[in-house]
Amino acid sequence: MFNALGSFITSGSGTNLLLAMVALPAVLAAIILLIPKRNSGSRSLIFILACIIDLLCAIGLYIGEDMSMIIPWAGLEINLAMLLYPFSKLMLLAAASFAFLVGLYSISFMRGKQTGGQFFFYYLLSLALANGAFLANNMVVMLFFWEGLLITLFGMVIAGNKEKTAAAVKALVVNGIVDLLLMMGIAITCIQTGTMMMDVISNVPLEGIGTVGFICMFLGAAGKAAAIPFHSWLPDASKQTPTPFLAIMPAVLCKLLGVYLLVKMSVNFFDIRPGSSMSTMMMIIGALTVVLAIGMTLVQKDFKRILAYHTIGQTGYIVLAIGTATPVGIIGGMFYMLNCSAGNCCLFLTAGAVEKEAGITDLRKAGGLGRYMPITAICFLIAALSICCIPPFGGFFSQELVFTAAMQGGTVYLVAAFLGLFLTLISFLKLGRSIFFENSRLADETEKDSVKECPGAMLLPMLILAGSCVFLGVANSSPLSVIQPLLGGKAAGLNYAGWPSSHILVIITAGVLLLAIISHYIGCRKTGEAFKAADHITHLPVLRQLYNIAKKHYLDPYNIITVIFKVLAFICHCLERCLNWLLDTLIAGVISSAAAALHNFNTGSSRKYVFWTMVGLALLLLLVLILM
Amino acid sequence: MHYPEIILFCILVPLIGSFILPFLGKINAGLRNIAALIFVLTSFVTAGFALQQALNGSPLHIELAMPLGLSFGFLADGLAVLMALISSLAAAIIIFYSFGYMEHYDNQNEYYMLVTLLTGAGMGMFFSTSLLILYCFWEIAAICGWRLIGLHRENDIAVKADKAFLINIGGSLLMLLGFIGIYIQNGTFNMLEMQDKGLDNWIMILILFGILSKSATVPLHSWLPDDSSAPAPVTALLNGAILVNTGVYVFARMFLVNFHLDAVWNLVIPIIAAISALVAAGAAMTENDIKRILSYSAVSQIGFIFLGLSCGNAVGAAGGLLYILTNCLALGGLFLCAGIIEHKCHTQDISQLGGLAQKLPITCIAFAMCAFSVMGIPPFGGFFARYLVIDGAFTAANPWIAAVFIIGSVMTVIYLSRAFIKVFFGQLTHPDIREGSWEMVSSVCLLGALSLLAGIFTNIPSQLTTFIIDNLGRW
Repeated sequence: MFNALGSFITSGSGTNLLLAMVALPAVLAAIILLIPKRNSGSRSLIFILACIIDLLCAIGLYIGEDMSMIIPWAGLEINLAMLLYPFSKLMLLAAASFAFLVGLYSISFMRGKQTGGQFFFYYLLSLALANGAFLANNMVVMLFFWEGLLITLFGMVIAGNKEKTAAAVKALVVNGIVDLLLMMGIAITCIQTGTMMMDVISNVPLEGIGTVGFICMFLGAAGKAAAIPFHSWLPDASKQTPTPFLAIMPAVLCKLLGVYLLVKMSVNFFDIRPGSSMSTMMMIIGALTVVLAIGMTLVQKDFKRILAYHTIGQTGYIVLAIGTATPVGIIGGMFYMLNCSAGNCCLFLTAGAVEKEAGITDLRKAGGLGRYMPITAICFLIAALSICCIPPFGGFFSQELVFTAAMQGGTVYLVAAFLGLFLTLISFLKLGRSIFFENSRLADETEKDSVKECPGAMLLPMLILAGSCVFLGVANSSPLSVIQPLLGGKAAGLNYAGWPSSHILVIITAGVLLLAIISHYIGCRKTGEAFKAADHITHLPVLRQLYNIAKKHYLDPYNIITVIFKVLAFICHCLERCLNWLLDTLIAGVISSAAAALHNFNTGSSRKYVFWTMVGLALLLLLVLILM
Repeated sequence: MHYPEIILFCILVPLIGSFILPFLGKINAGLRNIAALIFVLTSFVTAGFALQQALNGSPLHIELAMPLGLSFGFLADGLAVLMALISSLAAAIIIFYSFGYMEHYDNQNEYYMLVTLLTGAGMGMFFSTSLLILYCFWEIAAICGWRLIGLHRENDIAVKADKAFLINIGGSLLMLLGFIGIYIQNGTFNMLEMQDKGLDNWIMILILFGILSKSATVPLHSWLPDDSSAPAPVTALLNGAILVNTGVYVFARMFLVNFHLDAVWNLVIPIIAAISALVAAGAAMTENDIKRILSYSAVSQIGFIFLGLSCGNAVGAAGGLLYILTNCLALGGLFLCAGIIEHKCHTQDISQLGGLAQKLPITCIAFAMCAFSVMGIPPFGGFFARYLVIDGAFTAANPWIAAVFIIGSVMTVIYLSRAFIKVFFGQLTHPDIREGSWEMVSSVCLLGALSLLAGIFTNIPSQLTTFIIDNLGRW
């Protein structure tokens, strides 16, 4: 059936279909916005239809032939060029699958909410833009779609809470900076290579201005996936943004986009070699992101904020792996991306289910919800185990590849990766037990009785995502057989399917996980409550001070940037005032004084007039004599 | 169809028509308003006819031969038509908006006359082939700007209007000296006889004073933020639609089409533009008056346009021209939205505004669309313009200047998002207001929609800008 769909889609009007992948969700998004609020059923229907059509098209394109199209657009080589090839097919399919599942979930989640229409609009628009970015074969066109996501991000955060807007501005400014960096990178790279066509740019040497181009582009790609130092908007936005949007945007689309570009940069665009300075830079940023972001989860008390920090931490693993510039790193990074997208998306959906049914996301107020929401709890458990690198789930197999790459990069990166794993398990033990498995902390019996399992339309996507975590692990050869060929000759003869080849790394992994369980047990014994189970770590002498500084946002790069820009604005303001003073006061004063002085000569005395006339004539004569 | 007289229609209909408007106003205000709109739309439609001819490679041209190099005429080449189309379209939308906005203001006859006259003067400037005629229209525009800023007769406003006038006149007199210098050097005022010639630096400096003063570039910018006390359509007209664009146009006409600049100017002008963009953006970040924020934004964006036009390559120049269009639509829209807010809330102070998205939802959407375009966020038109300008700076091997403009772009995002959030979100400050009149709301919606279309269908304006650049034959 799927083969028939593929051949139907790619026959004849294939290039139109590439455009339709962008235009269709965008147009349907606009239609949803025009439908009155009272017709929420029609809005939901169009929304889910758009998701289904997008998924069917993506499946069709995945099965069908490669194709390309080019339409003149903005002139000066900026053509609407699109290319469908295995990598873009995989990304389109992944985005469409996640979008469909989260979309299905969203219909129930958003029912009765005022911002439903806006949510569906931004959701579909994000999907359209992401599709455009995956298909674009022109650098500037890719940037066009990529940067367009700023609007949906800003809109969704602000729609979440119209009174508390700081998070929306933060999201816009941070992502705006990231996109401007990417723009610089693209401009420099295109000038250096003399082309904007992505399939032509190849092996750009990393020297001189080319290095600047690479760094800018890397920061743009990693920043989109919320790597440090461009991460801090996400935890803040997570508080007020609808949970399904978190599940699709930062957890899936932004991550897919960031990884897509990082892999393109490593495999195609630039000549990055293992051990080179650029590879080291990427690995350092990746390792720092892993340790710092996951470290921050230990002091968080909010379900969604914890997941937001984990999303950032997982980006760190991906950047670290791809940064090694080795085949195992790139393949591992991509496989890990699929796993953590599935896992994290599922976790966000469970958070949404808890938020909707129990009305809480605060760890200190929840507890024992597993009894009332058993299927949600099981989905949470499977996704969390996958993220925590426990077999037989997909996370284990992909993370072992990441560890292998980190080991090739250097011991320090391997230590960082394992430290991240240690912190991840501690964090999820704290989170899972506090929300689902500890004794209930709900205020009274009425509150407890009102909590029930979420509707089937919300459960189904969670179950499918949890199932995919199992599938990606048990049948890891299937996704790897799709990913490995994307590297072309670089991965020739390699096979990473099956049980990890490095038994030492598996043993170390088991040891680290055991340590994390012991740490959690000690923490629980000390404090008596799961949500405080990491306090014995965060209260360690130096860490305590560091966490205090972090909690006060002193280390938040956004705050630092804001201060810098405020100082710059103040200097500019002073300069501008000075210029105004010069014009309004000084020059105007000089002219007024001159006028007043000249006024004094108007005495009415003809003798004085004759005298000044003579002086004037004498000066004129002198001037003529000098000129002659 | 080759009727060069069409250019005369484009210029003379608003120019002469403007003097009829006060008399029509005495008979019927509605008739006057419609007539003003028709006069300006005539310019737009005739410029559209001229566009066809320009793209066909046979631009409309009228020339009157005179002795002593004083011959003058009008030429509708690509650049002139582009500017005429942009300015007349924006002016028409602003006039339509004024039907609702100016309803309760005094001196409406004067207002409509001056706006139409300013449009006519702009058209004259764009099509003129003679520096002297261009100067005459330039001064007419300055006088219109002076009276429009001082439309309300209060003393403090009159002082601001005088300041704007003096800066403009001071600059234009220096520019006139520059024109005389060109005449001495070339023996003619006719620009068609000056193609691909060099220019002495002292002449360049004199002309630059005129251009910088008219286009409100730092350090001659301060008259523009001061005009924020004028009615919103006036600020839109001066900041976005016509007056400021005339300075940019003369720069493009003189130094893209006619004269070759010394290489040093390809560095000096981007530096001036960068300082202007940064200083104005910084000032916008510290302001609380929404119209002053937008005025500083106009100064800052003009810096981007100058960067594009002066970086000495096709990419930058195309970006600069595209920037003029997108900036005119988006910034004009922002000023008109600010007008609705001021009209309804009777304050321009953003610290006293909040939550207006609940009461002015359409204005909020239009403001957001225009602001996104000014920020250069896709799918709005500003994206391509900004990219090309910055790409032009990198192509010209000026990475530091490009980096300054990137900082300027970040500042644009900060101050516009701050203004947007403060005005439309947070605690509702004015619970008893409702949307502006349909003329006002539809005008801002149109400008917002055009900003969006300029991004999605960027091929349409880009074809024209690329055509202009290709015809220059420089790169």
